[in-house]
Amino acid sequence: MAIKYAYHPGNVSHSSSPEVAVTMESFARAMGITLVPLPGATSCGAGIVRQANRRLQLTLNARTFAMAEAEGLNILTPCAATAGNLQEDLMALQSDQILMQEVNETLENTCGLTMTGEVEIHHILHALVDEIGLDKLEEKVKNPIDFTVAGYYGPNIQQEGACGGDDVYDPNYLEQVISTLGGTPVSWEARTQSVGVPGLFAEEPTVMKQTAEALSEAKAEGADLIVSACNLSQAVLDIYQGKAGRNTGLSTNIPVIHLCEILSFALGCHNKRLALLRTRIAVIGD
Amino acid sequence: MTDSSLLILFGSESGNSEYLAVEAEKQAKSLGLSCSVKGMSEIIIGDLTDVKNVLVYCSTWGEGDMPDNAVDLWDAANGDSPPSLKGCNFAICALGDTSYEFFCQSGKDWDDWFEKQGATRILDRVDCDVEYEDPAAEFTSKALSIFSSMTGGAPIESQVNEDITPEPALEETIEVTGDDLGELLSAGDRSLAILYGSQSGNSEALAAKFSKQASDYGLVGTVHDMDGFDLASLSGMSRVLIVCSTWGEGEQPDNAEALWVAANADGAPSLSQTHFSVCALGDTSYELFCESGKEWDKRFEELGATRLVDRVDCDVDYESIAAAWAVDSLAAMAAVDGTGVYHEDMVESIKEYVAGDDEGADGEDGFTVPDFSAESIQAEISIFRYDPETATTGSDTWLCAMPGHLSLLEALRTVKNTHDGSLSFRDGASDDSTTAICVNGRLVLPGLVRLDAVAPTRDGTLRLRVDPLPGFEVIRDLVVDHWSMERRRESTQPWMVAATRGGASTMQGDIGLMEPNVATALHSITDFGSSALLQASSDAVPHANGYLGPAVLASVWARRNDPRSSASSVSGLDEILAGSNGIKAETDLASIRRQNGSGLVVSEALLDAKTHVLERDAFNGRHGKHVWWYTWTLKSSGKVNDTVLYRQVLGPIGLLGNLTSGVTARMMTGFSRTGGDMITDMLAFIAPPAGIGKMPRQFNSSVDNHHEVVAIFNELDGRF
Repeated sequence: MAIKYAYHPGNVSHSSSPEVAVTMESFARAMGITLVPLPGATSCGAGIVRQANRRLQLTLNARTFAMAEAEGLNILTPCAATAGNLQEDLMALQSDQILMQEVNETLENTCGLTMTGEVEIHHILHALVDEIGLDKLEEKVKNPIDFTVAGYYGPNIQQEGACGGDDVYDPNYLEQVISTLGGTPVSWEARTQSVGVPGLFAEEPTVMKQTAEALSEAKAEGADLIVSACNLSQAVLDIYQGKAGRNTGLSTNIPVIHLCEILSFALGCHNKRLALLRTRIAVIGD
Repeated sequence: MTDSSLLILFGSESGNSEYLAVEAEKQAKSLGLSCSVKGMSEIIIGDLTDVKNVLVYCSTWGEGDMPDNAVDLWDAANGDSPPSLKGCNFAICALGDTSYEFFCQSGKDWDDWFEKQGATRILDRVDCDVEYEDPAAEFTSKALSIFSSMTGGAPIESQVNEDITPEPALEETIEVTGDDLGELLSAGDRSLAILYGSQSGNSEALAAKFSKQASDYGLVGTVHDMDGFDLASLSGMSRVLIVCSTWGEGEQPDNAEALWVAANADGAPSLSQTHFSVCALGDTSYELFCESGKEWDKRFEELGATRLVDRVDCDVDYESIAAAWAVDSLAAMAAVDGTGVYHEDMVESIKEYVAGDDEGADGEDGFTVPDFSAESIQAEISIFRYDPETATTGSDTWLCAMPGHLSLLEALRTVKNTHDGSLSFRDGASDDSTTAICVNGRLVLPGLVRLDAVAPTRDGTLRLRVDPLPGFEVIRDLVVDHWSMERRRESTQPWMVAATRGGASTMQGDIGLMEPNVATALHSITDFGSSALLQASSDAVPHANGYLGPAVLASVWARRNDPRSSASSVSGLDEILAGSNGIKAETDLASIRRQNGSGLVVSEALLDAKTHVLERDAFNGRHGKHVWWYTWTLKSSGKVNDTVLYRQVLGPIGLLGNLTSGVTARMMTGFSRTGGDMITDMLAFIAPPAGIGKMPRQFNSSVDNHHEVVAIFNELDGRF
């Protein structure tokens, strides 16, 4: 089965989270998924550019849609923020033909491109469950993951129209994937809550509390590890967990990795990193 | 009556009790209860011996007197041999007027009487004054929930613990089933007796015809000649149709004479289990038209039988009238289930089923009314509990089977009324905005969401985790204190300070006008159903001290854009929006956007508010710089450059803070751990010209055709 997508790596996989880009590519190879790069695609804006100029973010993302449409492919991304923001802008364009016409005029004038809206945005999680199939994934598992895992969705992909066939409020695709890989999923409330990434620089005290609550709840539910569907959230949950713990007095030490990493590890890629992860799980914590 | 049926009895003078009884019947049917409504004059006291569940609405007349239609029944009830009502469950709603001395006396009398006869009171009597609607409605909801649980659907396990351990499905579950047409038309006894009294053969022919038609209604029709018919056998029949002609001067036809005499004798049986209807044949040229049929109709009623369809009196051209009566009567008889319970609400569906359309009942306007009832579903309901006296928290889990169309609020009432009266939640009308709770991470008004739609059913079981609204202090169980939100709202001085405006001359005089699109936009921002629900949708509210929250800010933003607001008011509202507890304190609009219908509109409005505030501040401060530099780096390479963001937004002091708090170290080791180049990343943080002037592209390569990105920026926003 040939599975092919236009690939958008997300906002920070080229910088803060290179492990996501690396493991996404190795996982795709192992699964036989062809990732067609979109070398001209820009950052999705992460909802930040929209705060300065809504039409600007919309047009930049319309350019990305036009490029994917030119390839005749749907877009695949490992980043929940990118999936959510692209989907939000795509739906805005699809639901307003006048808006799409105006944006196309700008694209035509500046880039010589136009879009039709006949493109779909998929997060790797939803593509895996809805299109590729967990049975195919199970066949490829070489290193069963024997951890107790808390799956983190965040709010961006848990929007109406952005979460594939999963439930907006009570999702379980991540838990299904974790089980398929051999892990034990835990049930926790903070899995769809925001950890406040867009406010990290300006509202750090609040974000630290949000981050600490998510981390401590995952620990309290017995998780060895948090697997995040979002690059940005993963970065904050990992990098800031020491500071969040000190600010709040909560227990926050727990390894946090991205979904692509655990997928890649389970399929036999990057065995040294899996060994390192096992060590981290063994030594990190209270 | 059977154990699962409910008799709703009313004693009414002005019609209020009857109205309440009819409303209760509708509500009961929505809960899957089979029930019938009767006036107190429509039953005899002996009928109550067969009733297991009775709900009574009774008004008081004059100086504590029974209403007219209840007088006879009351007299009989206090006769020499009142019936024993052991095993009967009852509840009384008394209507009265406190301006009279004997307030609600009739209801009180019935309450005492039922108890005295051994019946079990399942809910304390409620005494309603002239403003009876609300207390009566509350009483009805509670009573029906209890009856519903007693006849099925009751949660059967209460498990109180600190750590929830879901139990496997239990062997026994009590089920509240909705009406099922297929089951109704096929299950149990489906016999229909058709008695004819005939002189010329017309009644006999009609009886035979109706008997054949009966099979279309899932009935097994048997035609009986009245001559030689055993009257005593009638008491065991739940469905009887009578077709009877009249002879001479209002006389019974020959073959009916003996049965008629027996029916009027002292030993005539009670027909309290029997449902009947009469088709009378006659000739209007005679003085006593259809007299025989009228007599049978009256006598069956006297013997306690239940008339499902009014008698029809046919003249010599009887065919079409009799055929129409047969359609109604056979459908009504078919709606009597195998246990003898009449399901009036199913009659229309049965008619449509027989006519070849079982989609639903046709509405008056010609459209089809969909059937909203749903199958019973298995539900595991875990409810957060908090006891303020002992300051302990935990959760209770109930396993139960309930109709899927039950609202979540009705399900909570059922649990409270049947298993744990201490369970606390805000109750009210279905759209009461203060009733908001959280179910499986979804914020809902529980009266507006069906049980089978509130969360996905997995592995055949609906698992619900019911929590109080996040972001509010919990008073007890699911009850939260909205005061913190109201205090924040109060701090924004939530009233209109209007500018003096010129009105427009209209036919109604000079009045202020507003452009329709402006009015629509303002309404869309503030037309959220529940402030508490919207406030709880922000994941920042529980953590950001003082943050006004989306519900308060949406109103502020709407007033700020209201053309009626004065300039000084707009200025003050701008200060609120731009303040430290204003829109900047919201860390992620995505959490608001995802919750319910109004979340999308409000998050869009709050995004506009944030843009307005940032532009007003010329993108200064950390919020402004974050947005500015993020956008700027996107223009410079097409990618975000997070090292630039750290330097520009946090500045030297912020970076130093990260350095000393371990964030920087963790970041760099994080990069190393995952294969990045530590030296490059370290350089990114310290390389000049950090924080000075325009940034070089540094470590980002540009996207292909980067000039297109620049062109889009130049076309749409020259500020960057």
